[in-house]
Amino acid sequence: MNRVTLRKTLISCALLGAVLLLAIVSTSLLGSERLPARASLCALASLGTSTCGLTQDQFDILFQIRLPRILLAAAVGGSLATAGAGYQALLRNPLAEPYLLGISNGAAVGTMISLVFFGAIEWTRPLLAFSGAFAATFAVYRLARGRAGATPERLILAGVIVTTFLSSVIVFVTTLMDATRIRSFTFWLLGDLSGASKALLPVAITITILGALALTLHARSLNLLMLGERDAFDLGVEVGRVRIVVFLVASLLVGSSVAASGSVGYVGLVVPHLARLSLGSDNRISIPAAALGGALFVIVADTVARTIIAPRELPVGAITALIGAPLFIYLLKRV
Amino acid sequence: MKKKSILRMCFLCFFVATCAPVSRRALIILLLLAISFGCNSGGGRRVSLPARVTRVVSLAPNLTEIVFAVGAGDRLVGRTSYCDYPPEAKAVAEIGDTLHPSLERIIALKPQVVLISTSSQLEVFTQELQNQNIAVFVTDPHDLEGVFRSIQQVGEMLGQKDQADQLVTKLRERTTAVEQAVKGKQPVSVFYQVSAEPLYTAGHDAFVTDLMRRAGAASVTANVPGAWPKFSNESALAARPDAIILPTGGSMGSVNSDVTEALRKSPAALQGRVYKINDDYLTRPGPRAIDGLEAMARALHPEAFK
Repeated sequence: MNRVTLRKTLISCALLGAVLLLAIVSTSLLGSERLPARASLCALASLGTSTCGLTQDQFDILFQIRLPRILLAAAVGGSLATAGAGYQALLRNPLAEPYLLGISNGAAVGTMISLVFFGAIEWTRPLLAFSGAFAATFAVYRLARGRAGATPERLILAGVIVTTFLSSVIVFVTTLMDATRIRSFTFWLLGDLSGASKALLPVAITITILGALALTLHARSLNLLMLGERDAFDLGVEVGRVRIVVFLVASLLVGSSVAASGSVGYVGLVVPHLARLSLGSDNRISIPAAALGGALFVIVADTVARTIIAPRELPVGAITALIGAPLFIYLLKRV
Repeated sequence: MKKKSILRMCFLCFFVATCAPVSRRALIILLLLAISFGCNSGGGRRVSLPARVTRVVSLAPNLTEIVFAVGAGDRLVGRTSYCDYPPEAKAVAEIGDTLHPSLERIIALKPQVVLISTSSQLEVFTQELQNQNIAVFVTDPHDLEGVFRSIQQVGEMLGQKDQADQLVTKLRERTTAVEQAVKGKQPVSVFYQVSAEPLYTAGHDAFVTDLMRRAGAASVTANVPGAWPKFSNESALAARPDAIILPTGGSMGSVNSDVTEALRKSPAALQGRVYKINDDYLTRPGPRAIDGLEAMARALHPEAFK
């Protein structure tokens, strides 16, 4: 990486990272219950080693409920935005997005299978979600490649087919489930962070960070791939290997986020676009920026979801879609 | 076209009801508008009932229980897959589940009336039944009085008025006995956990909220709008309930038998005041709701029933 790009990457990431940290701190002061701001900040600054005069309940709300949920939101947002940026670069299609391509649905089917058949074994959830996401990615990719190559329209069409097919699989599985569980599943399918599972949180965060790093390291190849696969090959890119790596990493990212929170839509579309609009289309900058921006976006969306009708809650997917769908239409008109 | 507009209206209402923090009054006005809209556009014609109703289909377990309890079980020709009580009900033909009933099967059973409790979700379906000249009876009680009323209405419709009145009198006596027993006792603050993940509870419009009040409980979510709201984990923790009620063990099986993580350190959990009560008593606004009332009162105020 030349020095100018490196500096630009570092500066933009440092800036976004600072904003992200600020967002984590400030949104942890917001919620359906009021916490004293100064004491909460003091407790956060001490990283939970001191209660700073918070009552035990307030301390638990802050560290057992709010902070894990915010961190999960960050992991989910970072994962989805990174995966979206990866798909968009690899498939040379600005509309590629895990949710629209049916990849989230693939992961959802995997998660549901794990919940129905291996309900008690928690680690099968991310594993099957990842398998589902990978299978869906592969199916979309194969469907999208016609004789004339993969056009944007064809890719979206393939995504629609896979999405609707998997949706009907989901409906089928829900009818097999007993009635009492369907309700929680419909909520989960819309994307819900309230069940911030302590067991999955470290896994989700680790996968997000490693995934974003892995894709950033392949950013140069992805830049060349945007010229076209043949040109990239001529310029020395191992096209086949890069494709497999990106598909695997993106599926892993989508799988872990869906296993933790259901299908949160449009993050993978909105955030990479904003990153490219503001920082240019160099993947070495836009992929890490998308990862940080995605975390920021979902943290904000989830804060809205959990406070706007407090003490009731909305699924976070409803908020991201509310912002994402109009933006998608706008982008579709520009393509 | 008509169906579409009704559907659209429903969606709008659902959207408004869930998304916007509108005042209750505005919501009610909107709902009334939607209902009148639905009636006008759908034509909402009334189907008259014969003097003696001999063929009934029930689309909800509580209505099936009511039909049997007023002594008209032999005239029930169709029921949902959830209708498992009384045991005789299982001999009746199945027509699907409450949210996905099969219209064809219902029509083939030639009922004179279909009993429905989840009216809002089945608006188009209801219209179709009426187009087939099948009467539809809708009841969706939000409190115990509403349950008594629907028992009497069903009884009257099926020509079993005396039996229904007797049943209601008996149920009222049991209710009064419970209310007398817990009278003067300090209401216990209770969290009612419908499901742990995501966390659902019983809100203002749930009939079980009325039931809890009568059982000497002060539900910490009694004033939350809606019947079954999804509830904030931190608000549940901050509410510090002294008791937790888990509806489980009936149709739910072992689902919902654990307290949600946010409440593991609540006074209720620490004092071991977590009560599992048969969900069939608490989720079905029918005659057995009084069993639920008694079970809750006994759990919360054991000293009052010695």
